[in-house]
Amino acid sequence: MKILRTLSLALIIPVAALAMQRASAPVAPVGATPRVVTAANAFLASLDDAQRAAVSFAFNSPQRTGWSNLPGPMFQRKGLRLGDLMPPQRAAAMSLVSAALSREGYQKVLAIMDGDEVLKTNRGGRTGGRGGGVQFGRDEYYIALLGTPSATAPWLIQFGGHHLAINVTVVGSNNVLTPSLPAAQPARYTLNGQTIRPLGDENDKAFALINALDAAQQKQAILNYRISDLVLGPGADGKTIQPEGILASALTASQQTMLLDIAHEWVGILNDEAADAKMAELKANLPKTYLAWSGDTKNGGLAYYRIQGPTVVIEYAPQQGDLDHIHTIYRDPTNDYGAKHTGR
Amino acid sequence: MSTRHLVWSGVVMGWLWAAAPAGAHRLDEYLQATRIGVSQGRIDLEIDLTAGASIAEQIFAMVDANGDGQINDAEGDEYARRVIDAIRLSVDSRPLSVTLVSRAFPDRQAMGLGLGTIRLRASAPASAGTGRHALVYLNTHAAASSVYLVNALLPSDNRIQISAQERDVEQRGVTVDYRVAPSEGWVRGGWLLTAVAMLGVVLRRRGGHLQAAWQ
Repeated sequence: MKILRTLSLALIIPVAALAMQRASAPVAPVGATPRVVTAANAFLASLDDAQRAAVSFAFNSPQRTGWSNLPGPMFQRKGLRLGDLMPPQRAAAMSLVSAALSREGYQKVLAIMDGDEVLKTNRGGRTGGRGGGVQFGRDEYYIALLGTPSATAPWLIQFGGHHLAINVTVVGSNNVLTPSLPAAQPARYTLNGQTIRPLGDENDKAFALINALDAAQQKQAILNYRISDLVLGPGADGKTIQPEGILASALTASQQTMLLDIAHEWVGILNDEAADAKMAELKANLPKTYLAWSGDTKNGGLAYYRIQGPTVVIEYAPQQGDLDHIHTIYRDPTNDYGAKHTGR
Repeated sequence: MSTRHLVWSGVVMGWLWAAAPAGAHRLDEYLQATRIGVSQGRIDLEIDLTAGASIAEQIFAMVDANGDGQINDAEGDEYARRVIDAIRLSVDSRPLSVTLVSRAFPDRQAMGLGLGTIRLRASAPASAGTGRHALVYLNTHAAASSVYLVNALLPSDNRIQISAQERDVEQRGVTVDYRVAPSEGWVRGGWLLTAVAMLGVVLRRRGGHLQAAWQ
């Protein structure tokens, strides 16, 4: 009888504690979601009916995976083209992108778009809107919303164009940035007297880390073959390659900090609340995270690198030996498009 | 090259001159990216081929045999077969027969700009039992102008563990060392057999003691 009573208590106490915890949990979503939903609704309110129809897709529509780094018209984007919006509508669209991202992340997006404008102006590219030649420049970025902006139900903001694909899935308080593709060409340009390098920190921090490794560590990290492009670029959703390189557990504490700091260049594009949670996850998974490197170890040389862990894949790949043309990708093999939170 | 090819080349080159920005995309390289899926009974190959803008016409002409500017089913099949025939695949030194599963070709305009990707999917039966195995993959297609990527996918079957990938510097080929662990049922069966055997030994000993006690 005494045993039965003890067993009953052992069962009842944790169940009651769990029930109390659930009852006291906040119902309203926390984090950035409320302001992102507000910004999305403000953007939708700025549109006419036809535009609202053009920008809206079902959450599960093929549009979700229909993104690319390619310029139009080689890749036909759907949604609304920034160049087709009235100034207040365009401002509302960019406010939505800004609300979903961090300040640094939004600046990175703007720098990539400015770079494309430079490409259009300086390198003979042209913009002709729909049906014209190859389309470069700030006007050639598209926005689409998949699902209805909601503080509880899943929905997705898709923003992209040449060298940029941002996918932010919102599921309650969870905001997910994977998969996303920030890239740059030119990788260095001058605007208003300032030198801009949209992916400069991604480059410099990685070279600093590879040079902070000792010879034995470098031997493990540096692959003995050339990598000329992203391995898991657009179209490679749901693929996970066998990891290679050096395990972060073989790095010193300061080297591990440097590795996390590099990863933050991608993770931190998303709003601070969601990025902090993601960084905590990456830190917890650090012992199972790899760094692989291919190419020069002297900053200014050509190098590819990959950070791969249980919940992250980041690739940085100069294109065709051109330091002025960089592609990168950020994925989470367990949570692309918020799969972990949506159960899809 | 046929007259139709020459006309098409002129049209495409003119279009490229008008539309393509210098240095914007892959130019004189043919990127051949292969992902290898290892499972117990099969090897899957995902081969993505992207021709740079300045060699795209040459590649397109290889595929578009009748020179009409379109890739029909027969031409697509024929080119895919040529690629597959140039693949050498073996497990434990036994050559495998690779079969095309699907193929998708981009349109001429996308390919002409060095942006379109030919996607081939192929597989080969490979009955690898438990233990260590070595898969060897080599791609010899269009070697003169190609750059390569080759990677093993993380196996979805957790009984398969990849222990090493050794590539040549250009990634034309790779040797994938992997191990197939016994299935759970086999392991469980093994434990059950061991348990029964041990029980038998114990009972026999006890039987001996009892017999001794009765005597």
